[in-house]
Amino acid sequence: MTIPKALPRRTFLRGLGTAAIGLPFLDAMAPALRASTIPGGAPIRMAFFYVPNGMIMDAWTPSWEGKFQDLPRTLKAMEPFKDDFIQIGNLTHNTGRALLDGAGDHGRCSGSYLTGIQVKKSLIEIKNGISFDQIVANQIGKKTRFPSLELGMEDARQAGDCDSGYSCAYTNNLAWRSETQPLPPTLDPRALFERLFGTGVPMTPAEKARQSKYRRSILDFVTDDTHKLETTLGPTDRRKLDEYLSSIREVERQLEHAEKDNSQVDPHMEKPYGIPADFAEHFKLMSDMVAIAFQADQTRIVTFLMTHEGGSRPYREIGIPDGHHPLTHHRNQPELMEKVRKINEYHVKQFAGFVEKMKATKEGDRTLLDNSMLVYGAGLADGNQHLHEDLPTIIVGKGGNYIKSGRRLVTRRETPMCNLYLTMMDRMGVNVEHFGDSTGRLEGLDLA
Amino acid sequence: MQFGRGKPSAGVFYDSAFTTIDDILTEALIYGLQGKNDCRVAVITCSRPDLATIGYVEMVERYYHGPAGNFSQLPAIGMPTSGAKGETPKAFVIPFTLKKLDGTPVYKNEVSSVIETGDPNTLIRNYLEAQNDQNAFFVVAGPATNIASALEFRGMKDLIAAKIKYLVMATGPGEVNIKGDVAAAKKLFAGWPTPIFVSGPEIGDALPFPGASIEKEFAAPNTDHPVADAYRLWKPMPYDTPSYSMSAALYAARPKEGYFKLSDPGTITVGDNGKTSFAPSAQGKHQLLIADPAQKEKIIAAYVELASAKPAVRQRFRPDAAAAADGQKKAGDPAAAAAGEKRPGPPKP
Repeated sequence: MTIPKALPRRTFLRGLGTAAIGLPFLDAMAPALRASTIPGGAPIRMAFFYVPNGMIMDAWTPSWEGKFQDLPRTLKAMEPFKDDFIQIGNLTHNTGRALLDGAGDHGRCSGSYLTGIQVKKSLIEIKNGISFDQIVANQIGKKTRFPSLELGMEDARQAGDCDSGYSCAYTNNLAWRSETQPLPPTLDPRALFERLFGTGVPMTPAEKARQSKYRRSILDFVTDDTHKLETTLGPTDRRKLDEYLSSIREVERQLEHAEKDNSQVDPHMEKPYGIPADFAEHFKLMSDMVAIAFQADQTRIVTFLMTHEGGSRPYREIGIPDGHHPLTHHRNQPELMEKVRKINEYHVKQFAGFVEKMKATKEGDRTLLDNSMLVYGAGLADGNQHLHEDLPTIIVGKGGNYIKSGRRLVTRRETPMCNLYLTMMDRMGVNVEHFGDSTGRLEGLDLA
Repeated sequence: MQFGRGKPSAGVFYDSAFTTIDDILTEALIYGLQGKNDCRVAVITCSRPDLATIGYVEMVERYYHGPAGNFSQLPAIGMPTSGAKGETPKAFVIPFTLKKLDGTPVYKNEVSSVIETGDPNTLIRNYLEAQNDQNAFFVVAGPATNIASALEFRGMKDLIAAKIKYLVMATGPGEVNIKGDVAAAKKLFAGWPTPIFVSGPEIGDALPFPGASIEKEFAAPNTDHPVADAYRLWKPMPYDTPSYSMSAALYAARPKEGYFKLSDPGTITVGDNGKTSFAPSAQGKHQLLIADPAQKEKIIAAYVELASAKPAVRQRFRPDAAAAADGQKKAGDPAAAAAGEKRPGPPKP
């Protein structure tokens, strides 16, 4: 490897045709500038973490607006990041409502979540619209190795009836490349790992077996490149590189652990090889890789379907053997509502772990979190009533010193969620006049 | 259609300046019509940015609608954020100061800020999308500010043409609703894609709402009723009030009832001074309501019956004939939301 005077931002550590590891921003990439300055400014990343079946809104919505006071119960796990996020009230997805199409709120709300389009009620004739993350990916995706990453945790069925005549394509995908083509999420952490750090050339079964047998780390394949690079770096960059590669190794270790557990504990499990049985472990693996992908500027756009609408996953790990979706139709029974609150808290707790990692990752004179817009939200507010207004929404990160965080912003009732998307597109450098059912930009989000 | 039977009731879009007691009686009247399954209140919008008035209008809506429940939410009231605010009628403010015997407020104002309201264009668009084709109508009882804005809103004109069967406009005393926003009125009559029926000031003057019904049909003097209380506060009782807005709403909901005669079709144009002129033309989309003295008693009885109707749970579909007959027997049951608690006495203006 030859090291130019300024290390190119797109430098990869390569090895034996099996590995291609992108790098985080290093001072060596801008030697003429102040150490903490990123040429052209740090890229802005955006991610959507979607949770299904609505929420118990009394534990999500505080009675106040403006600067954060005591966080509501569901958001307690976000307490350490109180100054890093904004909660937005009253955002609405009208296209998730029935609008003469009858039952099927779950299918509609997730199908329309990022498209702002009333999806066609059908099992065969799938029709939605391009999702806004893909509009952004089409514009800026060429700047990164992956225009976008689509991730999930369960159920990648693309056909069948997932809600009252709505195809599973609507409930099991967030990102849509076109009105008929969803982008199914990657569920398997191993597949994501190989996508992020592999060369894209599939290994033969023999190669896979050999790698598995000798349990070689992907980092072992890039040892030569790593050593060569290290000799050209200053002490700060060497520490950064070491921390970064350690985080990849940690993901690898978790992955091996999960694969070992899966093969021993539950051989009949439907999940593909590599998917941890434990929800928290699975989420951590996937989200750790999101953080690495953002750090190395492998992609700037992620959609993450934490679980899907109408999903009946039990949460035995927190003492809830009942299915999530049936619980949300609690008919105001306190004990059932309490279980839903606990699930809502549990989801936020997992997400908070990811936020912590993003905040701990330095980028220039800010953090990776500062340069991101991580939307955590749901396509339904009250899952019992299937409400499509006042959708639970927080944005974590400042989008590059843009979002005035640490507060609750309440918009006028019925403000289209697509107004937020237009504003986020602006921030991503993509100017669009209209999207979905937008009526304008969302006001009040910025520092001005 | 998945649920219920019969034809869905027509959706009502009520846009008003809410500057008169007639405008509030009209709100009560359309809820009375909804109680009889003649229509469903889709959304209410106000043409001026007066938060205090919206608070009262919303409270009346809550009174009739009842608490939000499963699949039955109370829509936001639409309100522009610019333009002349105008004066808030005292009769819409004083009710919030009334106390029960135990000292608690009789009525609660739940609109304390603009975030409790909605953008009229967004609301109209969202609720139009939920209507069956040609199964909704507009009642406009104020300057056409919101309507003109809606016409210029992206995709709305086509949506209106698809969903709305007609619009009925009350021009108000001295055609104040035309003069209040001449530019908007011009856009309305020039560009609205459906038939427009106009209830001129002479209609409302000829059909006064009987104030005596407030003490008889609405509520006893010591019983809570937000419309009755505002009526009593408007000016010293007893008095009758012209029905400019009510006439428009009544015709809109029951066009085949024969309450009014109609002019031949024609075209209304609005001059720069706000004066309207009507030119008969077979291709015209506009018609004027004409008072029929023979119908006066029937119309006033309908006003009283509908505006004083007790809150009723909304039904999405018109019942078939047998179910309707059965429903008649059960009519009159007040919804749980109706206040009706005793208190010291009636308010005075």
